Amino acid sequence: MRPDTAALARTLSAVGLKGIEIDDVASLGVVVRATPSNVHTVLRALKESEDGFEFLVDLFGIDTGDAVDVVYHLRSFGRDEDLYVKIDMDYGSDLKSVWEIFPAALMPERECAEMFGLTLSGHPNPKHLLLTKGSEPLLLKEHPIRTAEEVRNR
Amino acid sequence: MDPRHLVEHAGWLTDTPPTDVGFVPASLRRAPMGVDALDTERLIVNMGPQHPSTHGVLRVLLELDGEEVVAAESVIGYLHRGIEKLAEHRRYNAVGTLMDRGDYVSGIHNELAFALAAEAIMEIEVPRRAQWLRVLMAELNRIASHLVWYGTFGLDTGAMGQFLYAVRDREALLDILEDVTGQRMMFNYVRPGGVVADITPTAVEKIHAFLSTIDTHLDEHDQLLGGNEIFQGRVRGVGTIDLETAIAFGLTGANLRASGLGFDVRKDRPYAAYDEMDFAVPMSSDGDCLARYLVRMGEMREAVRIVRQCIEGLPEGEFMAKVPKVLRPPVGEAYAAVESPRGELGVHLVSDGSDTPYRMRYRPPALYALQAAEAILPGTLLADAVVILGSVDVVLGEIDR
Repeated sequence: MRPDTAALARTLSAVGLKGIEIDDVASLGVVVRATPSNVHTVLRALKESEDGFEFLVDLFGIDTGDAVDVVYHLRSFGRDEDLYVKIDMDYGSDLKSVWEIFPAALMPERECAEMFGLTLSGHPNPKHLLLTKGSEPLLLKEHPIRTAEEVRNR
Repeated sequence: MDPRHLVEHAGWLTDTPPTDVGFVPASLRRAPMGVDALDTERLIVNMGPQHPSTHGVLRVLLELDGEEVVAAESVIGYLHRGIEKLAEHRRYNAVGTLMDRGDYVSGIHNELAFALAAEAIMEIEVPRRAQWLRVLMAELNRIASHLVWYGTFGLDTGAMGQFLYAVRDREALLDILEDVTGQRMMFNYVRPGGVVADITPTAVEKIHAFLSTIDTHLDEHDQLLGGNEIFQGRVRGVGTIDLETAIAFGLTGANLRASGLGFDVRKDRPYAAYDEMDFAVPMSSDGDCLARYLVRMGEMREAVRIVRQCIEGLPEGEFMAKVPKVLRPPVGEAYAAVESPRGELGVHLVSDGSDTPYRMRYRPPALYALQAAEAILPGTLLADAVVILGSVDVVLGEIDR
């Protein structure tokens, strides 16, 4: 279920990534804190390690108030373990596609970009997925369902 | 001079000499490779959003060369209601109503996924009777959902009769679910802490009546559609998803098990009372439409077995834990997954300590199934595209959320 944090650190340092923060969150699981610049190396190393994390369960964003957290939820069937890789993206910054490592990311990336107002690069089809073109980034906290005025006049 | 054939395309009847009466030239079995010799124009066909075999409002753009699909792109979002955003403005007890409207064919599973995630953050101990009732209702719902799929998959392949028989059995199941939950499809039955209502004596009677007929009815279904030679010819070897593609595109559930990987959330990550149940996980390694059909039909029989165990061994006790009226989970993050009829349905919940979720991510298994189907469509025939989209069992309410 939960990967061994020491083994993960060894896997990541083998590809030259030192000092990557690995948390064990009690209710969730093991979270690897990557950055937008090294996330490709991290994901590739995790995928290509022995009995690697070859399955992308899900990809989505969380608006934390300071930044957009993009979460890559990975799974290894061989070891029966789940792992979360998180990166902090500045608002409106550029999300680089990981579809060449995990083709499953094709649609969720488009959704994540449109819902959190990120741009998408390196993606073969970077159109909106669910929202119409020109819609506001729906899942950002600065876009409430109802404005204060609408609540008053309800 | 143009040396090309004038009337018949190149390769006509030249593959193998006709030796017996039953001879069909290979060029007629597949789209003739000679279309280029005829200078056929590439055609882009809009399948949907109003198309009977797209199971909702799915639009697929198909680029065709003759009858062969060259490229496929699915256009979705017609049913987007913003469930993830709406959930951020509702109390924890009220999110179940939204989850029902995600995958509207199997509501119990959606509610269960959210309830499990909330319970994981709050560390609520759910009474044993509630766990068993959850399993009972989830499995009844699974049979109802698979019956809808079975009926409509037959329609996609050109058969009609099985749909009426599937609806007959589903009607009995919806009657049971209505008796217990008060609703036929939008149940709002599973809440964080347990379930809303205990099972009623009339529902127990109805379940017994259902169990007394379902085995023979499933045999009938097997003969009516699965035993039909035309149906088998239509689905065998069509739309093969190999294991590598399945894993690459995030396929889960019955679709993944039909491609040869036996991962079932109920077995590998037991939730509710599944660790106390005795059931098998049907599998196949063929990965074609027939394999997916057989896996789902096998799952229905296993679900009937689980329902039998639940109704015989239902433990006594409370059906709801003692939880406050307004739930305020501590700050935290949790992921809970259930094996819905369409695959691994996950809820990733983030709580900031208030009475509404901070972020609720709904992992839609059908979205990933649609991606995999889109990936294998190039190279198949247009008529097979309908069968392939039907076989992976997509529900657009879940894809669009």
